[in-house]
Amino acid sequence: MTPFFLRMSRVFAKRTLNALTVLFAVASLCFVVLQLTPGDPVLAIMGGGATNATPETLIAARHEYGLDRPVLVQYGLYLSRLARGEFGQSFSQHMPVTEVLRVQAPPTLELMATAFAVAWLFALLSVMPTVRRRYSGPLASALETVCAGLPPFWLGLLLLWAFAFELGLFPPAGTRGVMSIVLPALAMGIPLGGFLAQITRESFDLALDEPCILTARARGLDDRTVRLRHVLRHALLPGVDLSAWGIGALVGNAVAIEMIFSRKGLGRELFLAVSNHDMPLVAGIILFIAVIYIIAGLLADLLRRLIDPRLKASYS
Amino acid sequence: MSHCFLAIAAVLLLLSVTGCRQHKPHKEATNPVAGGTLVYATDREPVCLDPHVHGDMPQVFVAEQFVDSLVAMDKSGKILPWLATGWTVSEDGRAWTFHLRHDVTFTDGTPFNAAAVKANLDHMANPHTLSSTAGGYIKQYTSTDVIDDYTALVHLDTPYAAFLEVLAQGFLGMESPAALLRSRDENCQSPVGSGPFRIVGWDRQNEIILDRNPAYHWGPPTALHTGPARLDRIIWRIIPEASVRFASLQAGEVDVIDSLPPEAETPAQRNPDLWLLKADLPGNPTNGTLNLRREPFRDARVREAFVRSADVSGALSSVFFGHYRRAGGPLSPSTPFYNPETEHHGDYDPDRARKLLDEAGWIARTADGIRTRNGVPLQVHIPMRSSLSASVRTLWEQVQATARATGFDVILENADDTTVTDRESRWDYDVRVGYWNTNTADVMRIVFSSAFLGPPGPQAGIHQNAASFSDPRFDQIINAALLTNDPEERKTLYARAQTIASAAFLQITTYPQSTRMALSRAVHDVRIEPSLNVTSLYDAWITR
Repeated sequence: MTPFFLRMSRVFAKRTLNALTVLFAVASLCFVVLQLTPGDPVLAIMGGGATNATPETLIAARHEYGLDRPVLVQYGLYLSRLARGEFGQSFSQHMPVTEVLRVQAPPTLELMATAFAVAWLFALLSVMPTVRRRYSGPLASALETVCAGLPPFWLGLLLLWAFAFELGLFPPAGTRGVMSIVLPALAMGIPLGGFLAQITRESFDLALDEPCILTARARGLDDRTVRLRHVLRHALLPGVDLSAWGIGALVGNAVAIEMIFSRKGLGRELFLAVSNHDMPLVAGIILFIAVIYIIAGLLADLLRRLIDPRLKASYS
Repeated sequence: MSHCFLAIAAVLLLLSVTGCRQHKPHKEATNPVAGGTLVYATDREPVCLDPHVHGDMPQVFVAEQFVDSLVAMDKSGKILPWLATGWTVSEDGRAWTFHLRHDVTFTDGTPFNAAAVKANLDHMANPHTLSSTAGGYIKQYTSTDVIDDYTALVHLDTPYAAFLEVLAQGFLGMESPAALLRSRDENCQSPVGSGPFRIVGWDRQNEIILDRNPAYHWGPPTALHTGPARLDRIIWRIIPEASVRFASLQAGEVDVIDSLPPEAETPAQRNPDLWLLKADLPGNPTNGTLNLRREPFRDARVREAFVRSADVSGALSSVFFGHYRRAGGPLSPSTPFYNPETEHHGDYDPDRARKLLDEAGWIARTADGIRTRNGVPLQVHIPMRSSLSASVRTLWEQVQATARATGFDVILENADDTTVTDRESRWDYDVRVGYWNTNTADVMRIVFSSAFLGPPGPQAGIHQNAASFSDPRFDQIINAALLTNDPEERKTLYARAQTIASAAFLQITTYPQSTRMALSRAVHDVRIEPSLNVTSLYDAWITR
């Protein structure tokens, strides 16, 4: 039997290696995809085909951004810079990529966190009181299915129309204050909540048949306490696993939602960066998103161990 | 992705025009009041606040608030003194002497003088500034001599009669030479001008904050008042979605919006709390330029047939609800030296179009009515960039439908901007959708003369002459117009140039680009600056 710390450091080393492989693959894929898309970043930045720039200006721009070098050299430089943690200068934004991330990431993370909270809140409120209830059960289940199927951008439009345009309860646009985050967070959180609810409902249903639940009831606990204290703990695991995926989905949906609600953030920035072929910025944002994914995976894993003590044993 | 956003945009527009709520009540005021904050909302965020770098329209809209120019232009196209009190030009037209005001300082305390003029023109012409617009407009610039503190002598390598006209544009505004010494990217964040406002903050993707310059007393001669601006502060907010922008105005979240979409124009007119401010931009109007390098548009008869098969007026009344005027000639009617005789040269005439196509040999037809010649169908490929607005797309769909009636198969090909730019640089299109805003008739030299064909060869790179039109007679006239400063002679030459361009059927011209604002009734005296028709908030005041 190996000592505990050695076991843990092995797990840690394996995880780090995995994470680095993922980041390398993401960085390379990002480079290849942008190379394959037709078009010249310098022309894109300088105003497209209608640019009035002198040839000297275009040459200066190509040289400044290193775009006059062979593609393989560009790739090598790109990877070595990333390895040193240098994200470089965004061509289209005229500022360091790290600065763009520093300014644009917080509003997106805030939005994602709120949406995530909305999703779990919705899932728990919809599932816990209704599983195996004669009327409310099927009704809530149907509602969850419908919500899971809603495209976030479409839901965003509806919410915008109803609560901002018609009723005027929320501001239609912007990144100012608590009110401005409500509609976008609902638009992103409700569909994810639908998914989480569906999967939790199933595991909740199974958990209700566990012998330990029968034991709990036999001890005289009332139904609410049983559901909250015992069943939920058994039923949470699949939802926690799905959450790691859900965070990735939230990043993707943030692009459309930030555009619709004119919010500042990484999603909108990514859209602009891709349309300008701004390689350093696209790479910076994508890698940042990849890191979020990896962290979400790690957190989900940790959380599973916390919720389910049996998993701790499985490493020995 | 872009289609998804288009669909979103369309739905949003429909939704927004149905919503209608009331503005907060405001006091009626007749005398201008000082103070207050105005919130302005626009569609696109500038990529750099220094108007010399790149030079896209969103940049000049902000620049107008914080930089001044050497000269100003009034509504009739006349050039007036501003930071330069007077100027003379040498016999050969290549040396311009500017006499400058003595009492102007930039908002960082640097005095405005001849050395500042030199620093600015050098900065625009320097390739490392990456200036597309300002640098492109002064390609003729070689150097500036500082004669004394307030006299600058500017040398050009060829005579350039449109020099003063381009100097009036905010793109060529004067910035503090001390600020220009910083790196380009630093100057992009916080450029320094001598204008009525100064940049105090820029929260990317959200808003730009400008505060009043209290020392300002050198306003343009076109302004309504003198002295410092009336507003304390401008918040310049970025709201890309047109309908959301309009909804924000209706909700009272913002005071002024620009780029009002055509769908919102009627609701805005009906709303008693709002008023509209509109002006057509000078230059080459919104158009589709026909590519003469390949069939079918090598043949002038086919070009005329295509232009005459497009029912643009019909499309303008249906897609733009009749709010946009027609621009039928190569120049927008608000351009100096515009020649009204070319206005109806390419009017809708399907009968003549059919006759021309018969003459050109496109006689046979496929089963679905598309004309063919030697078995080749009469196809017109139009790349459509994803950034085009929904209404421009619908306009081209109408052209597609009416041209089909005479036997053209118009294929609208959607793609992202960089892909379309790439196809354009390789001459891979039959029609290129575009426009060129500038305050001079010299725009025709950029879009039609052979000097702007780009480098030869298959890897052609950029070219502004999208038609690939090359006519020595036209080149000679358009270049001659730059050599003379006599307005009558310029008028004659530009009129001839317009006649040649429209007779060659190089473009389907549709409507002038325009500045369209909707404003709260609490906002007064917002002005449209005449050289490029951008918003000026110098005179503006607000009551609440």
